[in-house]
Order: sequence, then C-alpha cells, then structure tokens
Amino acid sequence: MKRKLLGFAALSILSVGLLAGCGGGNSKKESSDPGDIKIWVQFSDETPEGVAWQEIVDGFNKENEGKYKAVTEYIPRSGSGGGYEDKVNAAITTNGLPDVITLDGPNTAAYAHSGVIAPLDDYLKDADMDDVLDSIIQQGTYDGKMYAFGFSESNVGVYYNKEMFKEAGITEEQLPTLDNPWTWSDFSKISEILTKHFEGPAIDMQIASNDEMLTYAYTPFIWSNGGDVVNEEGTKATDYFNDSKTVEALEFVQSLVKNGYTTISPIEKGFETGKYPMLLSGSWTIFDLEENYKDIDYGILPYPVSDTTKELVSPTGSWQLAMTTKTEKKDASAAFIKYATSTESSRIMSLGNSVLPIRNSTIELIKDEVSEGMRTLMEQNQRSGHARPVVVAYPQVSRAFQQAIQDISYFEENKDVQKVADTRAEEMQQAIDNSLK
Amino acid sequence: MFKKPTLKDNIIGYGFLSPALILLAIFLVIPVGMVFYYAFTDYYLLTPDARQFIGLENFQRLIKDPIFIKSIWNTAKFVVWIIPVQLGAALGMALIINKQRKGNIFFKVAFFAPVVMSLVVISILWLYLLNPNEGLINTLLTKIGLPSQPFLTSPKQAMYTIVFVSAWQGAGYQMLLFLGGMQNIPNDVYEAAEIDGFSKFQQFRYITMPLLKPTTIFVVLTTLISAFKLIIQPMVMAQGGPMNSTMTMVYYIYQTGFTDRMVGYSSSIALIFTTMIGLITLAQRKLIKEDN
Repeated sequence: MKRKLLGFAALSILSVGLLAGCGGGNSKKESSDPGDIKIWVQFSDETPEGVAWQEIVDGFNKENEGKYKAVTEYIPRSGSGGGYEDKVNAAITTNGLPDVITLDGPNTAAYAHSGVIAPLDDYLKDADMDDVLDSIIQQGTYDGKMYAFGFSESNVGVYYNKEMFKEAGITEEQLPTLDNPWTWSDFSKISEILTKHFEGPAIDMQIASNDEMLTYAYTPFIWSNGGDVVNEEGTKATDYFNDSKTVEALEFVQSLVKNGYTTISPIEKGFETGKYPMLLSGSWTIFDLEENYKDIDYGILPYPVSDTTKELVSPTGSWQLAMTTKTEKKDASAAFIKYATSTESSRIMSLGNSVLPIRNSTIELIKDEVSEGMRTLMEQNQRSGHARPVVVAYPQVSRAFQQAIQDISYFEENKDVQKVADTRAEEMQQAIDNSLK
Repeated sequence: MFKKPTLKDNIIGYGFLSPALILLAIFLVIPVGMVFYYAFTDYYLLTPDARQFIGLENFQRLIKDPIFIKSIWNTAKFVVWIIPVQLGAALGMALIINKQRKGNIFFKVAFFAPVVMSLVVISILWLYLLNPNEGLINTLLTKIGLPSQPFLTSPKQAMYTIVFVSAWQGAGYQMLLFLGGMQNIPNDVYEAAEIDGFSKFQQFRYITMPLLKPTTIFVVLTTLISAFKLIIQPMVMAQGGPMNSTMTMVYYIYQTGFTDRMVGYSSSIALIFTTMIGLITLAQRKLIKEDN
C-alpha cells in the first residue's frame, strides 16, 4: 500500500516536473553589475530596423565600455500587433519587465498612468530637448512629464502620380506646397477634375482600413479645423469630438466619399499600379514604391487644410523608448535612452530603416541624402506634426474614432454626421471615465 | 469475471491519469475559475495588483453596452444561418460522393480540401475573391449581367458572406461524417425499396434520412457549439465591421481583454458566454434523451 502511494506521488511529481520544464528558462538571472541593462524591442534583428538598432546599441556599449552595457532582446510583433505586447503584459503580471522597453506612441498614457514606466525629465536636462520635434515630446508626455522618448517618427502625405496629373490638365502652379497648402475646397476641386477625367475615384484615402490608420490619418482634418478629439488633459471627449468644428471636418470627409472622390472599396494597390492618381499614406509607402513599383513617377503633396483656419496639420507617431519603474539601474537606462535618441542615433535609424528623424539637427544632417518625397514629409513633420491624443483609454477612444469615420463613410445610412459624433463622443467619454476611476 | 476495483487499483489508475489531470487543471479548470473571479473585479491588464472586487458592476455596464448587445445578435444570426447552410451543403456533397462513379476522388479532394486549410488563409483567400473591384466573384457576376455586390463592405451583407465562407470551409468535414453514416446503411434496404417501387427521392426521404438521424444529431451539436466560437473569419475579413455588423461575442471578449486591457470586463463577457453555451448544451442533451 505504502509503495503504491509512493508510486502515485512519484508519478505526480514527475508530471509536475515535466510541466515546470515547459515553462523553464524564465528564472531570473539578475546580474549584480549596476551597468548592465536589458532592453526589449518589438522588431526582429533581421529587419532593417533591427540592423540599425544593433548598430546604435553597439555604439552605446563601445562608448561606455566598463561602465554600462546594453543587451537587446528582439521580440517581433505578430501581424495583429500581439507577440511583443503579449510578452510585456505577461511580464507586468509576473514582475518580469526588463530595464527599458519600447512602446507605441498612443500607449504612453496607459503605461504611465499604470505606473509601468517612469518619468524621464530628471535625466533629460542635458539632452538638448529644444532640438527634438514637438510631436515626439507631445506623444511621450503624460500629466506634464515626459515618460517616453520616440526613436523614430512617421508622417503622412498625399502621394500623386505626376503623369496622370499632367494628363488631366492639372498644372504645376495648381499644386500645393508646404508654404502654400491646398484648402479643402482646392483639394475637392482637383479631386473632381481627376475623378471625372479618369472615371473613377481620384484618391485612395484608406478609409476602409478599419484600424489605427483611420485615427492616425484622419485626426489632422479635425485639428486643422480647430476641433479636437479630446481635451488637452485627456479627460473629456464630449463637447470636443461632437463640437461643431469637429463635425465640420467630418462632414468634409463624408463629402469626399459622397462625391465619389474617394471610395470605401478601393482597388488593391490602386495607386501603385497607376489606377488612382492619388493616395493618402505614410512615409513607409516611399519604401514600397521605390522597391516594387519603380515605374510610377510620383511626388508627395502636403495635407489639405481647413478653409477657415488654413492651418497645416499632419499626423505623427511611432515607437518610443521608456524606462520601467521596476528597474534598479535608472542611470544606465536613462543614459541608454538618451544615446538612442541622439542626433547620430536618429541618423542611423532614419537612413537604415527609411523612417523620419526625431530631431531638427538630424533632418539638417540627412536632408540631402534622402529622396524628394522623404524630404517633403520630414519638413511637413517639422512644421505641422501633431501627435495623437494622450489618453489612458486610448484603445477605446481610437476605436470609437475609427468607427465614427467608418459610420460617416456609409453616408446613406448616416446622413446626420452630428448624430454620429454625439454617439461616438459619448462612447469615448464612458471609456475615459472608466479608465480614470 | 469482473472484479470490483480495489483501492489500490484506483490509486494506480489515478496515478497514471495524474499527468493528464494536472494538465487539465492547470490549463482548463484553474483558468475557468479565475475568469469566474475576474468577472467580478476591475482587473486592468497593466495594473494586475491593484484589482478590486466590484461585484456586479461589470454586468451592469454590459447591459448598457451597445456593442455587446450587438455581438450577441450577430453571433445568434451566424448560428441560425450556418446550420442549415453548412449541413445542407454537407449532405448534398455526401450524396454526390456516396454513389460509385468515376471522378469521385476528385470530388472528395475538392470538398474536403478547405477543411485542412487554416482559417486565416481561407479568410484571406476569400477576401481576394470577394473584392468589389477586381475579385473573381464580382467579375463573374457582371459577366452574366448581375450587379456587382459589396459583400464584405456592406453592413447588410457582411455577416451572410461570412456564413457562406464558413460553411464552405467546414462542410467538408461534416460531409465525411454523413458519408460514413450513409455507407453504414445496408444496401439490401434500398434494394427492397426499389422492388416496392420507391423513387429515388422516396428512398432518400424514408430510408436515408431516418437512418442518418444519429449522425445528424451529432453534426448539429458540434456545429452549433463551434459556430458560437466564431472569431477568425470576421477578424481577418472585416475586423468586426462594417459598423460592428460582424462583431461576435468571442471577438468582443478578445477585444475588450487584450486591446482595451479591461480583463475584468472581458471576463464578465466570457462568463456570460460560457453560461449561454452551457445552457444550450444542457437543453440539447435533454432533447436528445427524450428523443431516444
């Protein structure tokens, strides 16, 4: 009897052991060296971003030899955005965060509010912050403190097909510039000419994308008209998102669909294959065009601006670096973040990964090395970059925004834009209230 | 000959079972218990330690959550449509293959192939086929003089499109089950019926259908349960849109939990979902028992 019991116990222990084996390798090997820091990044080391990153890390380690040493763990994101975030979330639950993590721009508020990341202001006094783009500071600031530091930037413009424009009879003089951007009426007029001439939508505005792209690319229309999604403190959406200025901007967007200038069911890669004369898209499309669609002779035009304010606004935002509150190596972590966001590091990142720089000095440094389109976006970013709202309940606010854009694009079902804005503003407000409780 | 198992036998038995039992406990029983508990807390993904018991607050919020209500309707709509469509298709395919004739192998492979393909791959494939501009389906429709359809971009059609694609994907497996059932029916029954002058349809109606009943019940049960768990097709093909018309319960659980980071809220939806499925399963079991 006793032997059988022992056998049972042995089997159980064996199976537990097996299970433990599966989860093994997670045991903490904290190095006692105060200068060794661990960094998690959301890309793989084989991508252009990873290669540029490793160059930056190597530079840091060389400069600080014997003092600090940074080690990167590459945790690529999966298509839907999981992978990396899942690992961070799991680490929060098990107290296993590294010293430095990367996070997407709109996550700043949630991570800061929850005490996952620590403010950086005390360490950034000698980091020449005046040189840093406003948009980078905006997206990394929560509650008046800088919590996260973007190491690359992005921007959106209107790509246009030069040949198709010529064919439709649009002259160089009619084209907008950064100094003299096109108003919504100008934009509609040119769209009308192109739509008639080519008997199809003039522009793919990615209005059917149903994801973060909508918040990212459509908020500038609202800002340009003097409206907003939420207030500056990120505590109120009602009276902001359903304000008359916001509604006006949304009505403009709706008119583009209604008049057939853009479409909710675009042809796949319509611009890239020369079927649409225009495309609203981010800096990453330059890379795609130059790699895969070399035949398209394109240029990049600035954002259309509101007729009333004529203020140029463009979207920004990308991944950032932040120090976790759990780290015991604050000086080393901050030193690394400062190094990775320096003029030189930003240069390596921008040229290596075709992203926009985060500092004015870097823009000066590389503007002759990049393509014309890239230069337009860099400059537009400098002049008019606007980060997305900093709110703790960002995922819900952003989704309500996306759904509002989607709602108005179904113009027959949703003729009353004010009503759409009211409903979605209330949704945002509820999410915000719940998150701040 | 049967000997009542002694305590010793029992212990040995459980000993051998223990690895499976422990796995089951860790990956099923304990998580289900945790969801039950989290449903009554305000667990936020980024501050797990600060979670507090908030009683029924999550459920009070749910009642007023229009997306949640819509997700229940959408799920119900899918379940109600997928069963006749998918089972009809499966039965039809099984009838085609059941006859000995040339080319059967081709049909078998063609009908069964979608089952072994990943749902994500299938969803992306159909996304291309259904594209309103250059998709094959719309090109064919316009060729035969019909208007091109928006399929996934119309809030009215999106869910039906997903029903169709899901049925196309899943019917092959049920076809196999029906086929197995059909081939178990002895041939002499049909021969006798033929001598008595039964038409083909009458044979199907009075012999095949009744004798397939156990198979049908099993197929309906499994389809029903799996239909409730719909998430991949609407996620990949329509992101729950347009206008939430393809937002299902499981998708909403995922979204509130992992995108919105409201683990507590998400758990309360999961709890309602589990309860619903549990009740349906119970009801079905009862119905079947009464039937037999």
